[in-house]
Amino acid sequence: MVEKISFTINGQLRVVEVDPEMMLIDVIREILNLTGTKRGCDNATCGTCTVVINGKATKSCNTPVSKVAGAEILTVEGLARGKELHPIQKSISESGAIQCGFCTPGIVMELYGLLENKPDASELEISNSLNKHLCRCTGFEPIKDGALMAQKIIQDRNKN
Amino acid sequence: MSYKYIGKSYNRPDAINKVTGKAQYLDDIRLPGMLHAAILHPEYAHARIISIDTSEAEKMPGVVKVVTGKGCKLHYGDNIKDLVPMADEKVRYIGEPVAAVVADTTFNAQKALEKIKVVYEPLPVYIDARDSMREDAVLIHEENGDYWHLPTLKPQSGTNVANLYQLKKGQGKDGFSEADVVVEGDFLYPFGSCAAIEPHGSIVWFKEDNTIEAWSSSICPFIIRQDLAHSYGVPESDVRVHIPDIGGCFGYKSDITVEQTVAYIASFVPGYPVKWVASRKEDFTSTLLGHGIRMIMKIGAKKDGKLVAMETKVLHSGGAYADTAVNVTIAATHNCTGPYEFDHCDLTGYTVYTNTPPVGAYRGYGHQEAQFATERLMEILARKLGMNSFELRKMNYLCEGKVNSLGEMMWKTNGDMKACAEKVQNLVFSKESLHEDENFYYGRGFAALMKSPKGAPFSTKGCYIKMNIDGSISINMGGAEVGQGLRTIVQQIAGEALHIPPERIRVYNEIDTQYSPYEWQTIGSMFTTQGGRAIIRAADKLIMVLKQTAAQVLKTDVDYLDYDGEYVFLKNDPSIRVAVPELSRGYITSDGITIGEVAQSVSDARLPRYSNPDQNGQGSLGVEYTFGAQAAEIRIEKKSGKIFVDHFASTFDVGQVINPLQIRGSVMGGVLMAIGATLYEKVEFDQDGKITNPHFFKYHLPTYKEAPQQTVDFIENPGTVGPFGARGIGEHPVIGPAPAILNAIYDAIGVDFFEIPVTPEIIKKALANKQQKEYA
Repeated sequence: MVEKISFTINGQLRVVEVDPEMMLIDVIREILNLTGTKRGCDNATCGTCTVVINGKATKSCNTPVSKVAGAEILTVEGLARGKELHPIQKSISESGAIQCGFCTPGIVMELYGLLENKPDASELEISNSLNKHLCRCTGFEPIKDGALMAQKIIQDRNKN
Repeated sequence: MSYKYIGKSYNRPDAINKVTGKAQYLDDIRLPGMLHAAILHPEYAHARIISIDTSEAEKMPGVVKVVTGKGCKLHYGDNIKDLVPMADEKVRYIGEPVAAVVADTTFNAQKALEKIKVVYEPLPVYIDARDSMREDAVLIHEENGDYWHLPTLKPQSGTNVANLYQLKKGQGKDGFSEADVVVEGDFLYPFGSCAAIEPHGSIVWFKEDNTIEAWSSSICPFIIRQDLAHSYGVPESDVRVHIPDIGGCFGYKSDITVEQTVAYIASFVPGYPVKWVASRKEDFTSTLLGHGIRMIMKIGAKKDGKLVAMETKVLHSGGAYADTAVNVTIAATHNCTGPYEFDHCDLTGYTVYTNTPPVGAYRGYGHQEAQFATERLMEILARKLGMNSFELRKMNYLCEGKVNSLGEMMWKTNGDMKACAEKVQNLVFSKESLHEDENFYYGRGFAALMKSPKGAPFSTKGCYIKMNIDGSISINMGGAEVGQGLRTIVQQIAGEALHIPPERIRVYNEIDTQYSPYEWQTIGSMFTTQGGRAIIRAADKLIMVLKQTAAQVLKTDVDYLDYDGEYVFLKNDPSIRVAVPELSRGYITSDGITIGEVAQSVSDARLPRYSNPDQNGQGSLGVEYTFGAQAAEIRIEKKSGKIFVDHFASTFDVGQVINPLQIRGSVMGGVLMAIGATLYEKVEFDQDGKITNPHFFKYHLPTYKEAPQQTVDFIENPGTVGPFGARGIGEHPVIGPAPAILNAIYDAIGVDFFEIPVTPEIIKKALANKQQKEYA
């Protein structure tokens, strides 16, 4: 069965006609061609498909598209304003957190969901968030460094 | 030595694309008319195929073609042509392609796949080399010995031994007559998966003009090109292979594997590009596995600790096809002496056919499996001799004037093993050791290591440099960027060699065999070393082109000129000069007449005098070794048996650090990967050859909270081959963690382990046994 489902993604209103049981990752990647959201596993264990839905970091590989009707979705393509990177993107790109880059979009969106809602998140909260993501390259320390750098920039930005 | 651009942390040129989601990986590629393939895998790990019925599948929605391996006689491989793109009469492992559906969408292809009916006649299944080496074992390849293979390999016809490699140094095992003390052990580094977060995949397009175009998340485009050209009878120049961004490799995306299967499937639908990307499950079952290596090792020493002889049998469960495993076995065999000199060696490596997915490269390539045994045995030997293990190691380290197993003399320029060991020792072992408390046991363990430049004699890496009209530089190479950061390194080395800031040097993104200079494959931690040398050679040629043109402009001889990146000028009067950009497309004189060559150059570099093994299994690997030392500080929770790695220290003599931020990242990532192998990761098979944990729920990769605090240090004794003295580092950090952690476990609880992963259940059992013994 095909249904019409509408939602906002990266600020654009989109209407898709799909099986409502189709997973959001497939809609994002195969129908909307937003390939920044990655698939790294079969069962919601790697975290690389994470997007932000109504402000909350959510895995798109086990979210049926019917659940996002009317929602506001943000993917990694929606963070930068023109050439100006979001503080999380900037920090992650400079802290050594990027090697192969395949886990990066999911981690960036996870941190966006956390730090934009809770700029004063504790180190434990940050580590709980990052613990949902697999990275095979970095040993995680540079990702933590990037997260802390980003948190500081966001806190400073919010003060002004 | 101080450099302008070397030794500084430049940011990666691909960082922004990756953080904005714009980097293009294999599955992100969309081509006009592209179709999608789904691949059927067998129900048995070893069976004859009696019949395949595809009639129902062909009627399913969206299906364009159903393909089977019936009558497929293609064999491929780089070392032994024993691989097949799809099973014909027989399946040999659980993930082998049996049939495929090509459809408009992946979903429709998968739905149709369920309708294919296959009848099998099961055969005995062998997971362990020891079982398939038994005399009464059924042959997994009746053709063993008949396949084309490299002349240096020795398949044992009529057995399941795909290759036998033997190395003899000095008196071989007779050398044990000089030994006062002997220790031995049987060590297992079990099957693992590289498990890059991006699963492997390919796109292949047979075009109407009889050319083939392919895309793959692979690190060896030129091998894919050569192999597809050979299989389909077209000139190599008519096969074009593209490599997009790669989401991690760690070994298993090397050699040619899934590309041949996707090509075989695509060859049935000419005119249409066909994409296949492994699910995570298929990434475990149907691409390459790692390790599967058992080391049966014996070491003999004098009473004073001087090592004299080693005898090792390497039993490598190589999987259903041995093409990708043979060189891993050979590397495990000749590198099993670790960083020590033995006068006498008798080392034998068996690559054995088994009914698992083919085993291939995994970061470390035989070194960690082999030196896991060596570094555990050194600790056990020290105990038997009643010696301090640091002292025992120190008196036996390979260093200037010592000779390794292959017969290569070590030089000062190979680096300083002792200095690495001392640094780690001071950092981790100079403190008081922690005593057992209510909840935890504490331990510290050490491992020294050696990494060889395992590759091939003909392995080379090319570099093309083009100077643009404004004097900026474009560089093209064939090195695959899998995350290791080689493009940053290219910018820095070229910047230093050309005296041009890295910001004015643009490095290639994708590899395209039509445009990229030849590279064998990006393996063996050799890109910085060989690729860097190629850059310096090409830079020198480019500077010579500029000087030759400038000599005409300035009416002098080339050797009177110097170059500083901005000008070519007269050495004795620098005011007589010409700006470099003016020489870039030749020099345009005042009347428009143009003289001199366009400023571009090409070069390549191999390791010096790398050779095939001789009749004793010895020979030169290009004298490019790296030494290092690692140590773990661990805590074992009494209640749960859980091991926590609190601190891990590494020091390598890398010759010259090129990018401090990147090299630190390489080491930390490698250490965590090997901690995964040591404590959590093992691909499990049931007795029927099915993989019981092909997903991240049960195949546990180390997470954020399991990552230890790390100290990463370097020593810089420049080498003679790599650029500015630099040596490789990519694989080295995975070599020491398993023995260091198992040595730490012994330190903590006095129990020796010979096999990984050491899980909480194993620790709990060991503690219970120990308690029982203490009470008895």
